[in-house]
Amino acid sequence: MLSEAVIKELEEIRQRYPNARAALLPAIYIAQREFGWLSPEAYEAVSDILGVPKTIARGVATFYAMYKHKPMGRNIVHLCTNVSCMILGAERLVDILKERYGLEPNSTTPDGRFSLVIMECIGACGTAPAMLVNTDFHDNLTQENIIQILESYK
Amino acid sequence: MITVNINGKEIKLEKPVTVLEAARSAGIKIPTLCYHEQLEKYGGCRLCLVEIEKIPRLQTACTLVVTDGMVIRTETEQVTNARRGVLEFLLINHPLDCPYCDKAGECELQDMVEKYGHTTGRFKENKRRIPENLEDPVIVRNMERCIMCTRCVRMCEGVQGASAIAVINRGGHSHIEPFSGGRYDCEYCGNCISVCPVGAIMSRMHRHSYRPWQLVSETETICPYCGVGCTLVVQVRDNVIKRVIPRLGKGVNSGLLCSRGRFGYEFVGSEERLTSPLIKKDGKLEQATWKEALDLVATRLGEIRKKYGSDSIAGIASPRCTNEDNYVFQRFMRGTIGTNNIDSTASLGYAGTLRFIENIFGGGVTANQISELSNSDLIFVAGGDPTTVNPVFGLKIRACSRNGGRLLTIGHSKGLRNFNPVELRPQLFTETVLLEGLVTALKDRKGLPGSNKKIETRIKDINISVDDVEKTSRVSGKDVEKFANLLSESVTPAIVIGRELMQSNGNSYKFLLLSAISYLINGKIYLLSERSNEQGVIDMGCAPDILPGYKSVSDSEFRKRYESVWKTAIPEKQGLSLSGMIISAKNGAIKAMYIMGENPVYNLPDSKEAEAALKNIGFLVVQDIFLSETGKIADVVLPALSWSEKEGTFTNMERRIQLLRKAVIREGKEDWRIISNISGNMGVKFNYSDAEDVFSEISSVSPLYKGLSYKEIEMGNSIYPYKGETLTGGEDIQIHKGKSITAVSRLYLRIERPLFHSGTLSRRAQALLKVYPEAVARISPLTAEAYSLKNGDKVKVSTKKGFLELPVAIDDGLENSVVALTNNFEGKGAFSLIEYTIDTVTNAPVIEGIEVSIEKGGG
Repeated sequence: MLSEAVIKELEEIRQRYPNARAALLPAIYIAQREFGWLSPEAYEAVSDILGVPKTIARGVATFYAMYKHKPMGRNIVHLCTNVSCMILGAERLVDILKERYGLEPNSTTPDGRFSLVIMECIGACGTAPAMLVNTDFHDNLTQENIIQILESYK
Repeated sequence: MITVNINGKEIKLEKPVTVLEAARSAGIKIPTLCYHEQLEKYGGCRLCLVEIEKIPRLQTACTLVVTDGMVIRTETEQVTNARRGVLEFLLINHPLDCPYCDKAGECELQDMVEKYGHTTGRFKENKRRIPENLEDPVIVRNMERCIMCTRCVRMCEGVQGASAIAVINRGGHSHIEPFSGGRYDCEYCGNCISVCPVGAIMSRMHRHSYRPWQLVSETETICPYCGVGCTLVVQVRDNVIKRVIPRLGKGVNSGLLCSRGRFGYEFVGSEERLTSPLIKKDGKLEQATWKEALDLVATRLGEIRKKYGSDSIAGIASPRCTNEDNYVFQRFMRGTIGTNNIDSTASLGYAGTLRFIENIFGGGVTANQISELSNSDLIFVAGGDPTTVNPVFGLKIRACSRNGGRLLTIGHSKGLRNFNPVELRPQLFTETVLLEGLVTALKDRKGLPGSNKKIETRIKDINISVDDVEKTSRVSGKDVEKFANLLSESVTPAIVIGRELMQSNGNSYKFLLLSAISYLINGKIYLLSERSNEQGVIDMGCAPDILPGYKSVSDSEFRKRYESVWKTAIPEKQGLSLSGMIISAKNGAIKAMYIMGENPVYNLPDSKEAEAALKNIGFLVVQDIFLSETGKIADVVLPALSWSEKEGTFTNMERRIQLLRKAVIREGKEDWRIISNISGNMGVKFNYSDAEDVFSEISSVSPLYKGLSYKEIEMGNSIYPYKGETLTGGEDIQIHKGKSITAVSRLYLRIERPLFHSGTLSRRAQALLKVYPEAVARISPLTAEAYSLKNGDKVKVSTKKGFLELPVAIDDGLENSVVALTNNFEGKGAFSLIEYTIDTVTNAPVIEGIEVSIEKGGG
């Protein structure tokens, strides 16, 4: 169940758009924030408030890669392995994450600290390899500094 | 006039249509996959690409609208190359498992590839793997075969209005799924199966048991379930029904079906079917020969008539049997036995409502075409959920909303809630005041048209202000005003009267109020009908006071008409109604009863009382396809042929007469034939050779059906008014306002009519049982909280009459004061908890205001 404040927030978002379906993306984002990930309950909550069938809400959300489609850790590492990053050793970085934290692509560490998502290009080819941790951007990654950076996320 | 040129051929068009439609109208074929004429245009499969002069790239014929002077080419090298390319792309992932795919033989992709495709593909990559999903009991999804045409999604959302499936994920990973990812939580209409061009969504019921080309026979017939009368195609192999499908452009349903119609056919082949007559010997039913049974029935009925008189015998006809069966049955009761003691369960609401409203406006006033509904600008639904009682009819209401029409509802209509209705929810037992308020408000807005004095004198007496409505029903005055404004502004309104109202307290007065509303806004009235031939059974005169064709039995001239054909006398005195029969059976006045295709011990309200009454009858004959609860207490049980095993006609809720055809061959006798045999044994010979012969007698005697024949029906000339005389209303309006009920109890009983069940038939359909396996008690989330109950908890539901132990199902569409029970499952029928009174005008049982209590635990 969502709190009154969140319901109000969703209803306000609804008013910004010409119809309820248009408000799905931000509404789903809020539900994800409240439920931690896009659980069936999260979709149901969005559906109840916007009056859009929950199946449609799920269909829309699953189109996008950056929603949490399963429970995830406290910090999400989006690591790019596209051409430039790959050439500059991103795949080695993937191995290092596995060695250091036991973190495999599309999984979460047992302590719930990190989740790893392998991304396509994040537009930092000039300073590759690059990653996003939650919403923070980090580039010019090396085998050394990636650990230093990640150590600051608890 | 628009002129286009397709492949060098000049085509003149009245209005701008799509290139595809223009080509098809000229007989030019353009292949398509995602296009479906029932669905919104999509342009996704790219198979219909055509070349258009002055447009540099190929265009999709299914979405492009023609303009004057357009030059179109559909068979150039560029087009055929593109087509071949599209098919090659589709086959990158589509598995070539045609040898064991059920769709092979009727697969549109297979046909297209065979006709337009490459013989080999150039892609060496592996195909995608998504395991076949068998989590659902009825629908199998094989997403490897899916070509993402989204016909199913467009059907589910745009036509069915259920939005139960959607495209999940993106690009090469996308596929179709219900919300859960496994089992469906939907209306199980199966219309997604109908439109799937490949073997991606299929029915599980006949999986791997046939090939489309092995279905030896295909029979077009009418659905046995509700009063909509959908046209079905029954496909049979080895004399077993393999599949039931709709057909585009055929019947009132035109390509759509509901769960009962599509998946409910298995009762026909059920092992529980009766195979031979049964005779009770020493308290036990034992198998007997037809001769023994028919002789016994004739002899015993003869003896009883001689000893106690004709009126000691009564008959119950069936809204599940054909017009022919019912006509012969009432002839038997009236002519051979000599009594007007004949009625059917249509009198539990439908008949009374129909005749009350016809008396005001004249006969046939409810015979409005279902197809017109979706073009109404407003539909007013009162008393129940049309999407469960008459599902395909409900779709037309949803379509009306989608076409921009307004929906107004009073009370509980869960299936319409997502279609933007204006809902009024009065307090329990206060609908009357609300309706009175609406009549008053409309009278002020519209004035009296002056064309029907009978109803106008009544309308003049109704004066309830909006404030009074608010005080009593707690519906805000503003909402009532809004409702009345919408009603009065509507140009083509329709009014739908549901089952709950038909069995409500003071129902005749409510019908008067609804008739008044309809009169003031010039609306069309539709009555929901639960049984396939509920209209027909009344038309055929299976009522204690009328002969076939709606003239009173006391009309001697009319009686003579029938007497001269039947060569027997017809009694003048009105007979007993269904409730009257039960009372007379209880007090011993009825000595024998003949029941055709009905199960009163289960289907009558207060089924316990009905059972006690029937047990008190000296000689009880039951003719049915199963050994029903009533059959078990009978003295003789006669097995009949079922819906798909015989010919005849059904009359649907819009009074369209439709032909039933034989799809399965089974040894046995039709209902009318059994009755003819018995009548013959009693010395009155009926000379009917077949059902058509019976119908030709009906059309020759009844003025209503004058000149109608099977041939005419087949041609579709069977819409009311038929060629015969129409009927006019006669008597003064009688009303019964009912007793006043004030809500005192915490909870009241409601009879729910679920989408997936109808009772005796659906209980024997495995697919429907898998979807809805058992009787439940539905309560609102708030009630559940108050009694600390969760889904599946056992509760004891009690009324004054008795109790049932049922699992709880929490339903957020219910009011907090309601416990909704069904009357569909053996031993768990809600009718066993009901105490009722009879409305003195409509003769319908009043099932309202039954206090109920629930208690956690139970057995």
